[in-house]
Amino acid sequence: MATPQVTHPTQAPVGSHHRLDVRNGSRGDVDDALLERELNAIAAIDGIPGLVAILAPDGAIETLNRQIVDYCGGGSELLQHWQSNDVIHPDDLRQTRETFQRAVSAGTPFQIEQRVRRHDGLYRWFDNRGVPVRAANGQVVRWYILLTDIDDRKRAETLLAGEKQLLELIASSAPLPQVLGALCQVVEKAASDCYCDIHPIDWSGPTIQFSIAPSLPESYTAPIAGTPLRGDLVPCGIAATENVQVISENFDTDPRWCASPVRAHVREHGLCAVWSTPICTKRGDVLGTLCIYQRQPARPLPLHQDIIARATHIASIAIERLRAEEALAKVRTELTHVSRVMSLGALAASIAHEVNQPLSGIVTNANTCLRMLAAAPPNIDGALETARRTIRDGNRASEVIVRLRALFQRKDFAADVVNVNQAACEVVALSAQDLGRRGITLVTDLDENLPEVFGDRVQLQQVILNLLLNAADALNAVDRASRRIVLSTTIQDDCVQLSVCDNGTGLSPEELTKVFDAFYTTKNDGMGIGLSVSQSIIERHQGRLWASTNADGGATFSFALPSQLF
Amino acid sequence: MKTTMGDLATPIPRRHWAKPLRGPTVKEMIPAQNAVVVSVVDDDESVRDSLPDLLRSFGFRAQAFTSGKAFLASNLGETHCVVLDIAMPGMSGPEVHAELKRLGRRMPVIFITAHGNPCLCDQLLQQGAAACLAKPFDPEVLIEAIRRATSGN
Repeated sequence: MATPQVTHPTQAPVGSHHRLDVRNGSRGDVDDALLERELNAIAAIDGIPGLVAILAPDGAIETLNRQIVDYCGGGSELLQHWQSNDVIHPDDLRQTRETFQRAVSAGTPFQIEQRVRRHDGLYRWFDNRGVPVRAANGQVVRWYILLTDIDDRKRAETLLAGEKQLLELIASSAPLPQVLGALCQVVEKAASDCYCDIHPIDWSGPTIQFSIAPSLPESYTAPIAGTPLRGDLVPCGIAATENVQVISENFDTDPRWCASPVRAHVREHGLCAVWSTPICTKRGDVLGTLCIYQRQPARPLPLHQDIIARATHIASIAIERLRAEEALAKVRTELTHVSRVMSLGALAASIAHEVNQPLSGIVTNANTCLRMLAAAPPNIDGALETARRTIRDGNRASEVIVRLRALFQRKDFAADVVNVNQAACEVVALSAQDLGRRGITLVTDLDENLPEVFGDRVQLQQVILNLLLNAADALNAVDRASRRIVLSTTIQDDCVQLSVCDNGTGLSPEELTKVFDAFYTTKNDGMGIGLSVSQSIIERHQGRLWASTNADGGATFSFALPSQLF
Repeated sequence: MKTTMGDLATPIPRRHWAKPLRGPTVKEMIPAQNAVVVSVVDDDESVRDSLPDLLRSFGFRAQAFTSGKAFLASNLGETHCVVLDIAMPGMSGPEVHAELKRLGRRMPVIFITAHGNPCLCDQLLQQGAAACLAKPFDPEVLIEAIRRATSGN
């Protein structure tokens, strides 16, 4: 590389001149040979494929090549003040300044990656390398600076890193708003000077389900939730319903939305260009839209289209996966519920069978007995025999009930140390979907200092699940908006106490005394077994299960178990 | 709403279990030589003990079997009507019924069950059962069903 052999620092000219004009006679005493050499040097640095600056030892600009002037759209006056204007991207300025000052004061080479503003306002990534030139005495006499455009590589790196991070988030089943928020940030980092907004769509409306745009204020995003998906209201309406990209260079003046109230909303937040792209599955089902805003009128560049294509792909994976997981969770909850009902149903059928057999004998024997006594003459011996058999069958029926209770007090009792809070949280996680779908707000108030108890975790969880689902059933008659269950744990009289409190229909004093009786139920479709089984389980744990009514309506079911520590 | 055992078993309408009965005369209680023979097949002892006595009190000749296999091994030609429990270990009632049909035995079959599944009953009636009763059943309903089923014989 040809290096100008200038030994005397020259002063940067003022005005729009971007380099020393060696021909304007300001240094008329310069001989032709030197002039020739300087012209050659300038031709050489203009030919370098990169942005070149030559600086004085103190960092003042001496010479700039044509590429850097053309790129920035200004000469040394613009670049001289790079520390205070926005030639360097504000996010990169501090690091650039520190690196540069450190290098200048130490006289050592430096290298930094930074975004530099192009004449049209767009920032591109550059690799900025500087080396000092020393005189014979070791003194730094020049700095040569070369900036190489690495924008494509940098964006690819940013996107790749972002994509990796996003896929990790998705794989770890992070909540959808978190994933989409991170995606917006990746998009904004890759395509500078834009705002990214993602709208999952609720097709039951259809409406925009919600808006995720971490760089836009809540005053912008909050009103978007629930917006009807209409083409005359928002570009997303067209994008989602027709599965096409919709570009509005200037939303405010775009005739397609001149009557839309959203126009003022966008303008008030200083946004101008709106580009909406559908997020769709491989099958072509639209899951949402990805919206890019710019503060000035703009059309997407190939760079933007590339980023948008990658981002919508990731968003589709995130939304589709989450919806699949939600569906799965719903099925799982339903299965749990069904198996609970099924097992109770199967239990009831088996009880019915066991009881019906001796009942059948009782009825038949009693009938035969009556007929024998009513015969003329009465068959006394036969009647006695059938009466005896009636008693036998009656005892058999009562044995069924004894066996039933023994069944609930299972012998294979898996005794272990149980953290009631943890057990409750697992049940809450299992039933949260179901409760949420029924419009129930579940509040947990768990005592963190709860000691552990000794017992069968699964059985205790069956009790907790039973209490929760009972409470949920009691809320059926309550207005959806005010359905509420509070699950709390506390230490009471040396016992671990868990309470499930609902604001449902409550229990009458008569019901309070009967709720734990087997086959007693207040529900239309209930078996009346759940609480009786629950009570058996709690009693097996040397605990106590009881019900009370709340002052403000509703019922509280609580159990207390002796703590392991006391 | 209080759930009772009856609800648990099956939605069968309430019946009067013990309506006043006209007692049989001694003559009626001694089965005639040409009386209808009813076989009771049930693994449950209560039924095997009680039902034949009841049937005899109505003038039938009755015999009890503990399983479908035992019944099929008997002299089937002697039985005019069979009362079959549905759920039995080994051969179930419907299996015994199918086997009877396969053997060409066209005797009327009355199913009794403690499970009380109305769907299953409908199905069995469609397959040619004369009646299907949920335990505990009204004895008079059973007698009526047997009389109706054997009246053609």
